[in-house]
Amino acid sequence: MSRTITVEGDVNAVDTRTLLTGQGSVTAPSLVVPAGMTKIKKIIMTAAADGLAAGHVVHFIRLGGSAVLNGEQTIMFGSDDSIAVQTGADAAPSLGSLFHLKDVDIDVRPSDTITIAGESAGVDVGDSTFAVTLVYGK
Amino acid sequence: MGKLYRSREGTIASVDTKTQLTTLGSETAPGPLMVPAGAKSLKSVIVAMGTSQAVAADGSMFIRLEGPGLPEGPETLAVGSQGVAVATGGHGSRTAIEVDLDIPVVPANEILVFGENAGEDVGDVTIGVTLVFQM
Repeated sequence: MSRTITVEGDVNAVDTRTLLTGQGSVTAPSLVVPAGMTKIKKIIMTAAADGLAAGHVVHFIRLGGSAVLNGEQTIMFGSDDSIAVQTGADAAPSLGSLFHLKDVDIDVRPSDTITIAGESAGVDVGDSTFAVTLVYGK
Repeated sequence: MGKLYRSREGTIASVDTKTQLTTLGSETAPGPLMVPAGAKSLKSVIVAMGTSQAVAADGSMFIRLEGPGLPEGPETLAVGSQGVAVATGGHGSRTAIEVDLDIPVVPANEILVFGENAGEDVGDVTIGVTLVFQM
């Protein structure tokens, strides 16, 4: 049996730990690990940047909170880079790619709260939006 | 037993220059990356990279893992490449790569993580590395 939780949020400054707590129309989804779930089995992570600043960043998440048994876990999952276009030209879109990490095997405590934070490191590329899905199991 | 995920990142500013990755975003001094107590092996490595695209050039990127935490010696992994014809206008979005490994480690000892740009100088490169330890 599996259970899932998806959170999303904007990460608009580089080198800034940003809690991902929204879920679109649901502003505060529960971050309590479902009863009976003892592992994070898979993680799906994606990010897209508007590229309004010339820079290059890597994106990563931080999994923490009292539910994560072995302390904070940090996982890189993608990058964005951008350089300004010539005057009058259109910039290329950022087609945010999806990183599906399988066999994650992070120990968690059921019925306790997890925190999911997103962060970018490097040279700021503008605003970014992140989405993360955790797949719980036993 | 589960896995533990430890990360570092940094920016490489020159070609053919071994550059240690020592920061982690908002953590400017996270300290040495130690092999966790009880870890049996380095099970995989996850790497993400982005470049400034500020030079009309083409280069490849790789990482080096070194230090007393790796009893069999240094390891190297190719992690990506990038090139542009003109340095005006571009936007890249890349997914990370995960490389499955099974490298012995020495718990409570440090692993040094380096990034490097080879080939031509593509400008600045930011590389993020996650080491996945099997407990």
